[in-house]
Amino acid sequence: MRNHDPQFNQFGKLHHFLTLDGLDKETLTGILDAAEGFTGVNDKKIKNVPLLRGKTVANLFFENSTRTRTAFELAAKRLSADILNVDLVTSSTKKGESLLDTLRVLESLQSDMFVVRHSDSGAADFIARHVSPSINVINGGDGQHAHPTQGMLDMFTIRRHKGDFEKLCVVIIGDILHSRVARSGISALVTLGTGEVRVVGPQTLMPADVETLGVKVYRSIDKALQGADVVMGLRLQNERMTSATIPSSGEFYRTYGLTPERLKLAKPDAIVMHPGPTNRGVEIAGSVADGKQSVILEQVTFGIAVRMAVMSIIMGHGEAVREAEQAAS
Amino acid sequence: MTSTSLKNARVIDPANNVDGKGDVHIRQGVFTADAHPNTNEPTATINAEGLIVCPGLIDLYARLREPGFTRKGSIQSESQAAIHGGFTSVLCAPDTQPVIDSTATVELIRQRANLANGARVIPIAALSTELRGELLSELATLYAAGCPVASNADQPINDTGVLLSIMEYAASFDIPLLINPVDAQIAKNGCAHAGAIATRLGLPGIPVAAETVALARLIELCSSTGCRLHISRLSSARGVELVKQAKQSGLLITADVGIHHLFFTDQQLLGFDVQFHSAVPFRSLADREALRAAVADGTIDAICSDHAPHDDDAKLAPFPSSGAGLAAFDVFLPLLLALPDLLGIALSDVLAKVTSNAANIIAHRDVETPLNPTAMALPSGDLSISSSADIIVIDPDQPFKLCTETAHSQGLNSPLLGAASLATVSGEDIPLKGKVIHSFLAGRHVYGAEI
Repeated sequence: MRNHDPQFNQFGKLHHFLTLDGLDKETLTGILDAAEGFTGVNDKKIKNVPLLRGKTVANLFFENSTRTRTAFELAAKRLSADILNVDLVTSSTKKGESLLDTLRVLESLQSDMFVVRHSDSGAADFIARHVSPSINVINGGDGQHAHPTQGMLDMFTIRRHKGDFEKLCVVIIGDILHSRVARSGISALVTLGTGEVRVVGPQTLMPADVETLGVKVYRSIDKALQGADVVMGLRLQNERMTSATIPSSGEFYRTYGLTPERLKLAKPDAIVMHPGPTNRGVEIAGSVADGKQSVILEQVTFGIAVRMAVMSIIMGHGEAVREAEQAAS
Repeated sequence: MTSTSLKNARVIDPANNVDGKGDVHIRQGVFTADAHPNTNEPTATINAEGLIVCPGLIDLYARLREPGFTRKGSIQSESQAAIHGGFTSVLCAPDTQPVIDSTATVELIRQRANLANGARVIPIAALSTELRGELLSELATLYAAGCPVASNADQPINDTGVLLSIMEYAASFDIPLLINPVDAQIAKNGCAHAGAIATRLGLPGIPVAAETVALARLIELCSSTGCRLHISRLSSARGVELVKQAKQSGLLITADVGIHHLFFTDQQLLGFDVQFHSAVPFRSLADREALRAAVADGTIDAICSDHAPHDDDAKLAPFPSSGAGLAAFDVFLPLLLALPDLLGIALSDVLAKVTSNAANIIAHRDVETPLNPTAMALPSGDLSISSSADIIVIDPDQPFKLCTETAHSQGLNSPLLGAASLATVSGEDIPLKGKVIHSFLAGRHVYGAEI
């Protein structure tokens, strides 16, 4: 039994950012409030603030990603950090030993922060437990487990548009089973006291006992959308069609696709969200993705501010550890 | 050979319904009724006051890792760890490299085991060549070479027709099959019980149906072939139910459970603790309770170690990529000795699961087959007069704590490392107690202070 949450350092401060599961409402709200402060930076002519000047952030991506990596890169640059992009995409047969070896090599490059993406659930947790305590780790997505910065930017977007979570009905549509975005989103929504969180999709895309996450499970998208304030789509990977999970993208669109007609079942002022990239005509209609209720591009923009907030908060908490280490040596 | 008398012990012999204060005498490798040899051979006397004397434990499933994986363990290290842990006989899993599908491999294991001078090592035959589930291995030849049972290890038998054929063939020779029920198409790349915890951690799940679908198929084929079937390492309440029904319908089915599955659940996976990554997953609390009840009511006949030693590197990886399995030899006895209180059954009934019952599962039956089983020295799992003196002397009250320095298995992959009680491991306040004081293998003193 591991009681120790590796996210917190010896001073009880958030040192790594691995999962939203287990973080309290104050912590989440604190991050959202800090992100509010950074949204202003993006609108200025000179977009940099010197909070991370002299610090090195290493992007360790063991899995392909352009969008997330770029977002982290931009956030680090706006904070005046040096950024190191390490492309580590390897075969699926990679060995744990090499992961730890890789980690040791990267540690010796004197980075202050690792942003990690890996295909194994728990990989960020593993790295945080084995990395030198002077390094802060941010989970940029681990397997099907968590994508906490995505979860926070989703919360930020919802709060900007809807305010109080307690009155909201949020619907998440599609592939919950394979989605780390859904897990982090659900976790944050529940912690923030969201009125009702619904998930809807075929049983093949639902994890076992999904209701234990604090959500209400729907089979019918029409019923799930009724009275919704927030509608979140998820990306449906092509491999789901080749693994007997769903029969075809066409049938998925017919049964669970977010069409303009279906969107009318939600509240008139409901917002439409999606972590991207969208599959138009599969999980969402192009006209909905581009429609006036869509906040999909805002999510991307807010993602920079939210990541700046997370990076500056945990880097600050890391300073205390680094100073303590320096004093000891 | 020295004769030995163990005096004033609590003697427990489940097969003969013995549990009481008494003496046990060993002469010329077998149990005798009295302490007075007719010859002049020397006799050693051990005062076993306060200790338990019982048949040596028999493990129905353990990985010794040799040949092929000696960075994780060797026949030398693991058969020694077994004897330190109270086992006098260990059935070794066939998923070595090469797999145990040829007499050459059996011979190699036998030779290494003789040199190791630890527990008796009984190789389990692979029931298909290279464990691929495609072609029959030479079960009769392997039997003659010393493999009393055959198994699929942790490998699937995807083709039901091949499984039918294997069961018919094994039935022809009355060779018991020891099969871990898992439907590989359902289990897929799962690494944890499909339930609330795996869902929360985003770990690919292994549904209970992976076990029950495989069980239903095995039970139907057992019924139609008359094969002797031993279900290895049950994990679920529903699986227990299916075995119970099959037994009630009169089938020759037996079943075991891995010792750790009587103590742990998927709750222990929180925090991605790789020490709880097991090929047979730790399931829900309700499943664990059903497994405990099944041990108590006899649906589960035996308890095995499912010993899986690993090198450190195998566990230094994210949960899904980490090596599956727990080292069990060092911690087996303290866990076993906790069961009487936990299950509300007699110690003798618990010991039966690792002595007489286990012996019965692998024993050859007196049926007409072309095989000659006499060459094979199988443990009897009892203290009957004239039976082979495999015996252990246990101090049940000595506190136990597994430490890296004192562990005997090469694998240190135990979640109990450093724990004096299960309180810090699984939340149940169960103190760990019990130590082997002496072990005798066929009357020979193989472990313990010199006598």
